[in-house]
Amino acid sequence: MMAQMVNGQLGAEGPYWDALAQGRLMLPRCNGCGKWHWPAVWRCGACGSWDHAWHEQPLAGTVFTWTRTHHRFAGTEGLDLPYATALVLLDAVPIRLNGLIEGDESALAIGAAVTGRTAFTQFGKDKIPSIRWNLA
Amino acid sequence: MSINLSGKTAIAGVGYRQYKRGTAPLPERGLLTRAIVDACEDAGFDPADVDGFVSYGDDHNEPVRLMSDLGTKELNWSAQVWGGGGGGIAGTLGLASAAILTGQAKAVVIFRALAEGNSGRLAAAVMAHHLNDHMVGVGLVAPAQVCAMRAQRLFDYHGVPRSVCEELVRASYFHGSRNPEATAYGKELDLDVFRTTRWIAEPFRLFDCSRENDGAGALLMVSDEMARDLKKKPVKLLSVAQGTQQGWGDLIENDDIDLYATGGFRAIKDKLYNMAGLTPADIDVVQLYENFSAQGIASLIDHGFCTYENVAEVVRYENLIAPGGGLPINTSGGNLAHGFVHGFVTAVESIRCLRGESPNPVPDAKTCLLAGGPGAPTISSAIFGVD
Repeated sequence: MMAQMVNGQLGAEGPYWDALAQGRLMLPRCNGCGKWHWPAVWRCGACGSWDHAWHEQPLAGTVFTWTRTHHRFAGTEGLDLPYATALVLLDAVPIRLNGLIEGDESALAIGAAVTGRTAFTQFGKDKIPSIRWNLA
Repeated sequence: MSINLSGKTAIAGVGYRQYKRGTAPLPERGLLTRAIVDACEDAGFDPADVDGFVSYGDDHNEPVRLMSDLGTKELNWSAQVWGGGGGGIAGTLGLASAAILTGQAKAVVIFRALAEGNSGRLAAAVMAHHLNDHMVGVGLVAPAQVCAMRAQRLFDYHGVPRSVCEELVRASYFHGSRNPEATAYGKELDLDVFRTTRWIAEPFRLFDCSRENDGAGALLMVSDEMARDLKKKPVKLLSVAQGTQQGWGDLIENDDIDLYATGGFRAIKDKLYNMAGLTPADIDVVQLYENFSAQGIASLIDHGFCTYENVAEVVRYENLIAPGGGLPINTSGGNLAHGFVHGFVTAVESIRCLRGESPNPVPDAKTCLLAGGPGAPTISSAIFGVD
């Protein structure tokens, strides 16, 4: 399977989309110097290596920041208002990933612990693979 | 070889036409033609002699298509600053100045035009550059939401008090309410409404967000020498800088932790002031591109007017208004209260305030800092001055 993005330009993160659509989180690490890259790169700007490996990671981390959207922006009709989006710093690797908050939002704050799962978001006529975060 | 462009080019003419969103009497290119001719008439310059054009933010109006309406004799140079958002607004000045100083063009129009009938809702037109599946999959489709997430960090992690946003918005509406051209003309901000009106994306309520207007704006730049022979007092470009730094940019929210809540201007601050030989204390008035209230605050901090620690001492309503305030900001009302054509009103007012044409004059102002669109992956700012 070769990933395509519905919206925007696909960079080097094809394996991320392939994995996410199959329910797993895969992230890239440079085989030259060990640096985790996000967004994904073809060439490591730190050491010059073109050799990267994708590693499965657990969906767990802490809230870096968040917003709760109340306005009906065009394209978001597939989501009930209001909805909360959280940017989460993963526990295992120094990478932040956005996801929709599901379940009880009362503990939503910077620093709150979350665990996640993969899902699909309806955007227009398309289903976009994405992350759901649950507050611990 | 290194040329310091400071003081060698000047803005000689200004044109700006603004309408309520969706009500422009002409399509985008027609509005733009009007604004360019306005700028030329303001300068006493024949539009047919404009030989260069530059824009930003993925403007759709290719200069070659303007030639028949303007009577353009020679199109010698045209360009656009890369990047979405308003990050390129001041960068246009650097390109235009470089083109003039290297003999590639003699008279350059800097422009931006947007009409909902052509480019759709402004938020969507501005965002089209940035959207990808990483964002839409989590419901992020508008600049307001991304800026809201960064504002949340500015308040809750860096300790900036939320009350400073109210001070900035109040000052903007004070100025806008006195500007016949402004959307907020005759309407001062009702603080109770500001504090309780509907949420857009937390922590932003409606009046934390910039306006959306149809319109077009144009500045005419020529050499300082040529400007002195034209109708209006030349407003010299003293400095301009654009760019970004490692740890900031188009990084799907993975910017460096210390940079994440900034406006992105740390990358250019020193270059900007050094080119002009000025410091923040030398700036008489600021035209601040504030897409959202918190990003305006972050930009003021980045540009060295205050810090995370003393922001509440500087960003006070009384200090921000003209005349009388020590740091007058957005003297026409800015993007919040004057109107929003991708921030162009901040460039227009930068010129007007130094000519003494502002609806809220700053007596004896000699220097104006134009702080470009904050939070964009590449950003830019400029400093103008008059003799």
